[in-house]
Amino acid sequence: MCSTCSREPWLLEMARTAPEYGRAEHVGSIAFGSLLTIERFRFANGLALLLCEDHSAPVVAYQTWFRVGSRHERPGKTGLAHLFEHLMFNESEGCPQGEYDRRLEEAGAENNASTWLDWTQYTVAAPADQLAVVVELEANRMGHLVLRDPQVGCEKEVVANERRFRVEDDVEGTVSETLWTTAFDRHPYRWPTIGWMEDIEGFTTDDCLEFYRTHYAPNNATIVVVGDVNEADVVRRLADAYGRFPPGPLALEDCWPEPPQTEERQREIRQPSATEKLAVGYHGPALGDADHAAVSVLAEVLFGGRASRCHQTLVRDREIAIETRAFVGQFRDPGLIEIFAATRSGHTAEELLAAIDLEIERVRAEPVPEAEIERARARLELALVSGLETADGKATTIGFFDAVLGQPALAFERLAALRSIDANALLRAARRYLSRTQRTVILVRIRESATGGGPMDADPDGPLQIADGEGIGS
Amino acid sequence: MTTREDGAPVLGAVLVESSHALPLVAVTVALRCGAATDPPDREGRARFTARLMRRTAGGRTAQSLDTYIDTLGAALGVDASYSSIAFQGVVVSRSFPRFVELLGDVLGAPDLTGQEFERLRRECIGELVEVLDNDRVLAQRWFRRRLFAEDAFGRSVAGTQRSINELEVSDVEAFHLGQVTAENVVLAFAGAVDDDQARSSAEHIFGRIPRGERIVETTADPRPPASRRLVIVDKPERTQTQILIGGLGTRTDDPDHTALQVGNTIFGGTFGARLAREIRVERGWSYGAYSNLTIDRRRHAFNLWTFPKAEDAARCIRHQLGMLERWCNAGITSDELEQAKRYLTRSHVFAVDTAAKRVSLALDEAIYDLPRGYYASYTERVNAVSLDEVNSAIRRRIDPKNVLVVVLGTASVIADSIRAAIDDLATSEIVPFDADP
Repeated sequence: MCSTCSREPWLLEMARTAPEYGRAEHVGSIAFGSLLTIERFRFANGLALLLCEDHSAPVVAYQTWFRVGSRHERPGKTGLAHLFEHLMFNESEGCPQGEYDRRLEEAGAENNASTWLDWTQYTVAAPADQLAVVVELEANRMGHLVLRDPQVGCEKEVVANERRFRVEDDVEGTVSETLWTTAFDRHPYRWPTIGWMEDIEGFTTDDCLEFYRTHYAPNNATIVVVGDVNEADVVRRLADAYGRFPPGPLALEDCWPEPPQTEERQREIRQPSATEKLAVGYHGPALGDADHAAVSVLAEVLFGGRASRCHQTLVRDREIAIETRAFVGQFRDPGLIEIFAATRSGHTAEELLAAIDLEIERVRAEPVPEAEIERARARLELALVSGLETADGKATTIGFFDAVLGQPALAFERLAALRSIDANALLRAARRYLSRTQRTVILVRIRESATGGGPMDADPDGPLQIADGEGIGS
Repeated sequence: MTTREDGAPVLGAVLVESSHALPLVAVTVALRCGAATDPPDREGRARFTARLMRRTAGGRTAQSLDTYIDTLGAALGVDASYSSIAFQGVVVSRSFPRFVELLGDVLGAPDLTGQEFERLRRECIGELVEVLDNDRVLAQRWFRRRLFAEDAFGRSVAGTQRSINELEVSDVEAFHLGQVTAENVVLAFAGAVDDDQARSSAEHIFGRIPRGERIVETTADPRPPASRRLVIVDKPERTQTQILIGGLGTRTDDPDHTALQVGNTIFGGTFGARLAREIRVERGWSYGAYSNLTIDRRRHAFNLWTFPKAEDAARCIRHQLGMLERWCNAGITSDELEQAKRYLTRSHVFAVDTAAKRVSLALDEAIYDLPRGYYASYTERVNAVSLDEVNSAIRRRIDPKNVLVVVLGTASVIADSIRAAIDDLATSEIVPFDADP
């Protein structure tokens, strides 16, 4: 019996008993690596379910991905998607404030959420036998959230404090925000996901209600379930819990593409920092662009780990930097290839920029040797596979690629794409993307009050950010 | 795992957790010694030595080693703490044998005398300057330094610019010779590796290191604070503060240990706990609000952590001290106890849901001399504690009248109001954020 046929009896039975919008359709099966399969379902209200049975541990990862992020905001209302994510943890009908966390904790579950440019993600990791509680609570807040002035006011204070923590009192947070706002003129990626402070302070309960009605309809969401569960049981539970929510009219996305940048932009900012710093952003490819894999490998060659070219040159050989790193944006629309470097005392941001420019000109002029490409590919492959160890890691990987590109198993296709990258692809990518005319440079100067006027002699305990091996302790 | 009759790990201690779900093997080589062995004027020695070993294994250059590790499909980091140094690696299974060879070189054949020594010294000093941008780390540094005073727990794992400057080759050679011995090493393998592969790999690694004396912890526990003390770490232009309040927790063999862990879960161990509810949810003062009990071989710290804006710092501290007093004087309720028990026992599955996590718990037991079966009996012990045991443990081990309060912020803005907010404050000091404690 084929897998679709084997589902027919219980799907038909469920359709007879489910609430109005609870009828489910099995849309397809997608291999997730060599051992697991993602089953895709869609309910009558448009809610999508990606289900991956994984019986390696008695746990379940339950994630809700809404296709709304800071890109869907507008000037004057920046940070609303993120504030709303906070509000989802407050009160829903029949579930007074504090009850959501209390019941999940009683179930032994861990929960969290995050908002980014293109999406908002809610995660719950629970013992597998506690699935019923998770489904009930998650469905209830999707369909029956309660928003009142006191909670909105208090949560605005929390988010303002989060902004102070991540941006106002954090040099790198300020630098990153400055880089994106300078590099983008028109696309909504230009404003910070956490929002401008004056916008956070100005939100009303009505703003939040409008956002909820506009973006939190079931047809704008995907549930990802990975773990020690039974497929029919999960689909039945979701049909019962979400099947009373009607689909909503989804808002038209009012988003302009970013016009091509034709000349370098440079800004100098002063920060209460111990050393000068440098941030550079080149306009890069979208995650779905065929060049994205090549640019990712290129970034690893230049900045990935202690064996990378820029680490070797700037940190080890010339000893002008304490660290260099780069990120290639993984977004639906073209984002930035971000480079960040911190000087050693006595050196300047311009020295770092000049040294990095030499390395960038090298990869634009000469093919990268195969051994270096192999090193970069191996690092990317290790990072990707390491992220699949837990049910939560698998759910995040599935949900992320589905939310951005609608392809939940793309991680494995991406592995294949990375393996096919050669010197030609890197040369093309370097010449296309690493052009000075389409970059933004932020030079960070030391604001003198920060040094206290005396010699610096610090004694940091705890893990430092910089270590011999990336990503594993310090 | 090889054990003595009393259950303690001996030479050749090997922990293995097999799982072939992913083509990866996690390998940890852990030493039963860390920064606590640093001489007082050589803080940072253990961590420095471990990093040097990682960079010079087999006499190779750091660059060639880093390239080799990446190309294997591996990562290898160094994690240093007071009681342990851990070389933590992960490798794709096809490269496992070569990675084991490399680990043998890290332990048995580092080049501690070459030019990498001076290069690492300069790099460490650069990092110590860079960390001045990290407010949370600075607050933690001062909290530990003042809480533990002359005790080894008060030392800096990373060292100071002064101590790193004074390190000599003979210092790191002494650490390597005296501490990196078979009796002090525990090996842990998890993932796509079976028992036979793990044991032959362990034989190879143990074959590369000399015999020596097993380190036995004989130091007395640190002394708890004897009054309310305030330290303001003065840093210009802060819109926000970093606040740590606390004293000591318990030893792991203390009869109050599990009961206090349960009590802490109720007080500040989760997002639904009292601290997060009163500080974040009800008042919006701080994005995070948690309390924590640290485990080590000896009695370590209990602390509360919040980070309100400067204008809210004084009332946030006053409120937290009031919460501490209520927790100690009135205790917890039976409803809170049942809720915490369900949370701790049910969520324990996430401590053991992967091979790497399971082996990590066993490793902690071996490294930190935890009571035998500490994690295996965890849920049973949690379920067994009574309301009276939790409330008694809190009263015996936590003393809100004698706590250390460390606040990083701009002193000219916050100092007066914070001093006024702390009743019975015995001492108060303001230290520059970039000073050497």
